[in-house]
Amino acid sequence: MSDVLRRIEIPIALTIIATLIQVIPYYVNIPVLDTVASRASNSVLLIVAYATFIGVISILQVHGKRIQRQSEGWYYSILVIGFTVIMALTGLPLPEAGLGVNNNIYNWLFTNVLTPLGGTMYSIIAFFITSAAFRAFRARNLESAIVLVAGTIMVMGNAPLITNLIPPIADISLWIREVPNMATMRGVMIGAALGSIALAVRTLMGIERGYLRGGQE
Amino acid sequence: MSLLERISNLDRRWIYLLAWVFVLFPLLNPLGLPIPISSDAEKWYAYVENEINDGDVVLFTPMYGVSGMPELFPMTVATMKHLLTKDVKIIVVSFWTEGPLVFNTLLTQVNPEDFGYVYGEDWIRLGYIPGSETAMGSLARGIQNTVAADYVEGRPLNSFPVMEGIETGEDIDIIVSFETGTPGTPEWMRQFNAPYGTPQITGCIGVSVSGMIPYVQSGQLQALMPGLTVSAEYEILLERPGLAVAGVDAVSTSHVYIVLLVILGNIAYFLTREER
Repeated sequence: MSDVLRRIEIPIALTIIATLIQVIPYYVNIPVLDTVASRASNSVLLIVAYATFIGVISILQVHGKRIQRQSEGWYYSILVIGFTVIMALTGLPLPEAGLGVNNNIYNWLFTNVLTPLGGTMYSIIAFFITSAAFRAFRARNLESAIVLVAGTIMVMGNAPLITNLIPPIADISLWIREVPNMATMRGVMIGAALGSIALAVRTLMGIERGYLRGGQE
Repeated sequence: MSLLERISNLDRRWIYLLAWVFVLFPLLNPLGLPIPISSDAEKWYAYVENEINDGDVVLFTPMYGVSGMPELFPMTVATMKHLLTKDVKIIVVSFWTEGPLVFNTLLTQVNPEDFGYVYGEDWIRLGYIPGSETAMGSLARGIQNTVAADYVEGRPLNSFPVMEGIETGEDIDIIVSFETGTPGTPEWMRQFNAPYGTPQITGCIGVSVSGMIPYVQSGQLQALMPGLTVSAEYEILLERPGLAVAGVDAVSTSHVYIVLLVILGNIAYFLTREER
């Protein structure tokens, strides 16, 4: 019996069934299949919601071990665990106990800790860009010169101070965005879509087995 | 060592310090630099003003976390204010974990009650739905099957008058999405626009713009708000200067600084090339 359950045809069949349940109602209106697809999607939402708990457990395990072993920077792990526990507990959906989305601690931590930290992380990019602008954006050959000029015009087109002083810059940056960029992006999107279709067909036919036992028979 | 060589080998900490000055100075001392209005801002304003009609059902979706707030929050606030001046039904939902918390912050800036909007009658919050594109597809097929209860009061959706007659993606008249990545516009397109023809307008961070343009040109995306500069222009069109106008001087000075660095770096590179 256990040998039968280990047969590779079973997960392949399950993949094919699950895929067709989602794909067919997208193109054909069959009420029964539509209901089945809807229920399958809802069950995925539940699985994802449950997976959140795995994330919390994983954080506790990883950082718990770092604290236990006093590895480098272990004191940061105390902060991670501390804030994870506080946010998880204060955010529990128990409004009658004063917990949940309206809890003051939960909202205070979001507004005064998470928001400025997130903004700071994003803002750090500005420093890397300025350093790269000075050290890496060099016209070493024709190709890099084209990229450099186009990139610089795009930067200038996003600065009201420059577009106000030199109005044609706005038009040129708009042209770069809507002609060469659009053509390239459209090509990339069509290529990626064709690749996805090919992968889906291979998976449905059981040829693509990379997701099963590491692709081995 | 010549001056050019010194410039070429400038310690990056000086570059960082100047970047800090170029951004911080205009934030502390607003320069009031002129802001020309672009076609992107005009299209966005015209669409919200003229194409979203009274009684329309608007799916308003902050699809970003705190890291996207500096760039996207001003346009989210401005558009919400604009929508609230109209008589529409607003459903707020997010497929990003921090989306509802971002919207909580928005409510500290905009109170729908000030515009005569009553929670549950004119607008509702569905909170965060886990599951990315699968969840979007599920919402499109059946809103009340996907979300058991609202985010604020925890009551079933069918107990709110605002949800009357709103069952599937077909009942949504417009999606207004603000986003930093995936899930975002491509996923909305696949799950709402393609099967139901739902029109959409998207506000995005600057680096996402190139990927959005094909959707604008194909007519699937009715308007695009790319980044903070256009947000400031939109605030001016709305005659409600806000967070974006306050920050756009810093955008100008920091961009000028980058252009200067590129020019200076290349001059130093070319003049010292033979010496190397």
